[in-house]
Amino acid sequence: MTEEQPRQGISRRGFVTGALSAGAGAAVGAGATYALTNSGQRPAPAPDRPEIFVPFEGPHQTGITALPIPEQGLVASFNVQSRNRDGLTTALKELTEEIRGLMAGHPPETRDGAYPPVDSGILGEKPPADNLSIVVGVGASLFDERFGLADRKPNELETMPFLANDKLDPKISHGDISIIFEAGHNDTVQFALRQVMRRTRSDLVLRWMIDGYARGIGAGQASEAQTPRNLLGFKDGTANLDVDDAALMDRHVWVGAQDGEPEWAVGGSYQAVRIIRNFVEFWDRTRLVEQEQLIGRSKVSGAPLGLTGEFTDPDYPSDPDGKRIPLDAHIRLANPRTPETDESRILRRGFNYSRGFDGAGRLDQGLAFIAYQRSLEKGFLTVQRRLKGEPLEEYIMPVGGGFFFMLPGVTGPDRFLGDQLVK
Amino acid sequence: MNRYLALSVPVVAVSLILAGCSSDKGSSEETSTSASATTTTTSAAAAAPDPLAEQAAAEYKTYAQGQIDDLVVKVKVLTDAVRANNLQAAQDAYEPSRVPWERIEPLAGLVEEIDGKVDSRVDDFENVDDPEFTGWHRLEYLLFEKNTTEGGAPFADQLDQDIASLKEQFPSVEVKPVDVATGAAELIEEVSEGKITGEEDRYSKTDLWDFDANLQGSQAAIDKLKPALEKADPELLGKIEAGFTEINATLQPLRQGDGWVLYCTENDPYPSPRCTGVTVDPPTIDKLKAQLAGLSENVSQVAGVLKLS
Repeated sequence: MTEEQPRQGISRRGFVTGALSAGAGAAVGAGATYALTNSGQRPAPAPDRPEIFVPFEGPHQTGITALPIPEQGLVASFNVQSRNRDGLTTALKELTEEIRGLMAGHPPETRDGAYPPVDSGILGEKPPADNLSIVVGVGASLFDERFGLADRKPNELETMPFLANDKLDPKISHGDISIIFEAGHNDTVQFALRQVMRRTRSDLVLRWMIDGYARGIGAGQASEAQTPRNLLGFKDGTANLDVDDAALMDRHVWVGAQDGEPEWAVGGSYQAVRIIRNFVEFWDRTRLVEQEQLIGRSKVSGAPLGLTGEFTDPDYPSDPDGKRIPLDAHIRLANPRTPETDESRILRRGFNYSRGFDGAGRLDQGLAFIAYQRSLEKGFLTVQRRLKGEPLEEYIMPVGGGFFFMLPGVTGPDRFLGDQLVK
Repeated sequence: MNRYLALSVPVVAVSLILAGCSSDKGSSEETSTSASATTTTTSAAAAAPDPLAEQAAAEYKTYAQGQIDDLVVKVKVLTDAVRANNLQAAQDAYEPSRVPWERIEPLAGLVEEIDGKVDSRVDDFENVDDPEFTGWHRLEYLLFEKNTTEGGAPFADQLDQDIASLKEQFPSVEVKPVDVATGAAELIEEVSEGKITGEEDRYSKTDLWDFDANLQGSQAAIDKLKPALEKADPELLGKIEAGFTEINATLQPLRQGDGWVLYCTENDPYPSPRCTGVTVDPPTIDKLKAQLAGLSENVSQVAGVLKLS
């Protein structure tokens, strides 16, 4: 629910528009899997949208920036029960091997029928390519006395504090390890979750989880031509960071060698997970003009208020008193688009959730906000401080989540997630 | 609680009866087919019975027989106290009467319908007044929730009868090697599903006695299979034995006298005036969950390792 500046350079939107003007009806480029139709306002999914096995190895965990962002997401938080550092090391190795196999779509071994089957079978004989990615982070609590890791804690990693407007439920907050699953279909997500849990059963105890559907929410133009909408009905992620821009990722997302962080952490990233409930019934009863003033954008087009075009710069200098876009509108507070605030840009990659209803009969829906940044302090926490007291708070409530540090990527067949942390 | 085992045996029994009865050919064939279907998948592995596994099955049946003898005695202490309207004695006798049962529950469940009669929970019924709600937990409700023995005598009589019927029928139950392996696994599942949540003994809060008895029964089953496992997969056996040791160590601080602390958890879904504070804290429960789950995964491999069907 924050707002970032549009990416630099050639946007995918530019690609697609170009394709349209050239009269091409098919997808252009590996990442541009949607083609525009009729008026150019509504992209339609290409029938042959490529589904791939996301590569596992890389200097960073690949699922943080993989494209396209698939439809389904799930975040699970675990408490680690390993007895000591060796136990934790084994658990991380097992976890890595399972994720490596799952992301590659390795078919399970077959065994004698006197054994339980090796996998749940819910994806049939061979798991199909479904853009499955799995990423792993560690929480501040992993650095307590249990594993002797206290002196290796990333500098800014802490248990997520109560922030503005928060009502954190301990039952869906924090944890030693976070694992994010994304895939094109929910059965792939559930398959992966079950396999991962089965492999790590004596070490990882589920603490909380939430799943939902994304269509790349928060990814904006980086994912597809059409920006997904959150459950308030607004486009979310119009100005997200461009994951294809390596320099931008280095600047805002990946922990670098000069950051003063522990050496093992270089190539990792801070993750902020926020389970943000939306009071959708209340919201749906709010006048459209008020909704738009609260967000700062036109609901239908996504354009900054008073302007046309979703990707148009809101041009705050021309509106110093907030006559067009109120000074306390969500997008204006989240990203004031000044040179001084450029440093606080973060990469969002969350999903919508819906999980039943509450005692008052209200739907329990909202956004599983997930953001990645090089520095929690300069990124998420700075944005959050600006948002404190925003009028939108009346309609949303953060109820859970946590801060985690995404382990650096795995760069070879003999390496495993967190190997430099636990060595 | 033993859905798979409890179902498979009656099917075989029915098919045998029907096979000998030619008057209804259609249903005889149909039932025979379903009975054989339950065994086809693993029949290949059964071709050469392992004498060590056969011996384990025989020994485990003997073990269960001994537990049932004990059960009859311990249950009678409970039911006599209920009939004598001695609330304190009945409360004291409740948990000891369950221990032999909890040790052998999967095998006892091979006797048709017994589990439903003696060990159903109130959740299986519309409400506590359902006349079908009988057995230990019906008595537990009276003794610990209502604090009375009043109205308990018929349920005490019924429990005696049902246990007597278990003792009578059990000798004719066929205990196969695979039943020992699945029995060991099911007892751990029992703990993971029913005991850790505190739902089993929600009025008396004595879940840890059941917990321990399930573990003992599972460990006894593994002990019987030990010679076969030592031959087939000593590494797996080592992991399983380490798993039991680990869980028993986690439980150790919860011992109290010759029994256990009451099972009082944080945010207890089954609050009881018997609980005056948290006795089993969330970190301990988390630890038990992980240890039980790890043990479950290992025990689930036993049938495969021994090629049992």
